[in-house]
Amino acid sequence: MKVYLDNAASTRVDKRVVDAMIPFFTEKYAVPSSQFAHAYGIEAKDAVDGARTLISKKLGGKFPEEIIFTSGGTESNNLAAIGVAFANAEKGKHLITMQTEHNSVLNPFKRLEKEGFEVTYLPVDKDGIVNIDTLRKSIRDDTTLVSIQYGNHETGTVQNIKDIAKVVKEKGALFHTDAAIAWPYLPIDAYKWGIDLITLSPHKFHGPKGIGILFVKKGTKIEKIMNGGYNEFNLRPGTENVPAIIGAKKAIEIFSQKDVAYIASLKKRLLNDIKTNIKDIEINGSMEHSSPHILNLTFKYVEGEAVSLRLDFEGIAVITGSACYSRNLQASYILMAMGREHEQAHGSIRFSLSKYNTEEEIDYTVQKTEEVIKSLRELSPLGKEDRE
Amino acid sequence: MYPKIIKEHFADPKNVGKIKNPTNIGSFTTPTGAKAIFYFLIENNVVKDIKYQIAGCPFAIAVCSILSEYAKGKSIDGLKKITMSSLEQFFKIPQEKEDCINMSLNAFLNGLEMTK
Repeated sequence: MKVYLDNAASTRVDKRVVDAMIPFFTEKYAVPSSQFAHAYGIEAKDAVDGARTLISKKLGGKFPEEIIFTSGGTESNNLAAIGVAFANAEKGKHLITMQTEHNSVLNPFKRLEKEGFEVTYLPVDKDGIVNIDTLRKSIRDDTTLVSIQYGNHETGTVQNIKDIAKVVKEKGALFHTDAAIAWPYLPIDAYKWGIDLITLSPHKFHGPKGIGILFVKKGTKIEKIMNGGYNEFNLRPGTENVPAIIGAKKAIEIFSQKDVAYIASLKKRLLNDIKTNIKDIEINGSMEHSSPHILNLTFKYVEGEAVSLRLDFEGIAVITGSACYSRNLQASYILMAMGREHEQAHGSIRFSLSKYNTEEEIDYTVQKTEEVIKSLRELSPLGKEDRE
Repeated sequence: MYPKIIKEHFADPKNVGKIKNPTNIGSFTTPTGAKAIFYFLIENNVVKDIKYQIAGCPFAIAVCSILSEYAKGKSIDGLKKITMSSLEQFFKIPQEKEDCINMSLNAFLNGLEMTK
């Protein structure tokens, strides 16, 4: 049996998305910027505008031009962090983010530190949740931007961005959230909640790769970070990826909350059955405030890459936060920020689900995980006193 | 990404476990939480039996298995001379796996040096 449980990395593109995209490769291949030259251009412009209108509405925005298309979540996060920091540098040079953000947020902030900005990296608790009072106290008169991730890509932990946005707005700073993992699995309402910038990544919910979205509330002071033409309201130069924009639109259009409830039921089944059948596990992340599709567990006394490779032998795809697996040989900085020990990160496994997974696949995964953990623990010198 | 020999030994590691009355034991732990222990039965400078326990990645596990098979019946004087580069006769060592492989090799070499 083949079981893909790495959906937080990327998802299978829905067939309806592919079908919607194809005409924009083979028939409607003009670009929107040719709208004043020919009918092909107008057709492309109309299609892209239709996507903007739909996405803006779904996010609780008010204007289609609040939707900026980029190359992906990474570019959206870079544009939000660097574009807002520089555009507001006269007001202040203090920025706030969180220690468990995705690298595409952390590394732009690190670059900004080299450019003379000061950055506060807020800590998180053992579940990965940021303290709103700590955030409130960290916002200063010269703070221009606060960026807090909605759902964490490794643990699934979800921040209360509604209350966070309120605090940030009270203090007069701009608020960005990286919602690449959380949305549309979890709701967002840009205007009602007071969010100025939102990063989205359609390939995380059955859309195509190569397209990202940055919602920028009208009136937000932001400048472009790449130099080129005047595309995307002069904020993001480069030829619009029209087929991918149409694919993103379709993925958003067909996304169903019924699927979310189904995925959440699979996650519950997976966790409960693992808990019943495998001893000495720990949950990494909040269970109460959690994305419905991500489950991160530590299997004590074994190493995560060994677990994932053994599961791969059985056709099951997962990833680990172990140092052995990471390209920088560091244990997951996210689990470390949550106060985990190296040993706990060492045996961590992320299962991430999608609407294409079945109950049979979950049952098979539990059975194989039990076998793999049993076999690797037999090899392991750790925890023997507790187990023998 | 994984050489064939690593995959094979990782899928079915040989000589796993403990020896009841070992003459030598060697272990090594990494700061990242991995650990390997080798148990030897050495008679007249020759490895009569060898077993190990390991909590590590596929490379670390496979290297324990490869070393255990290689060492059986061999003189410890020759085995003490094994280095990272001598492992290259079995597979090409990826740079990012050096620490993991080193752990297994160090546990093995520590065992040859340290009597129980």
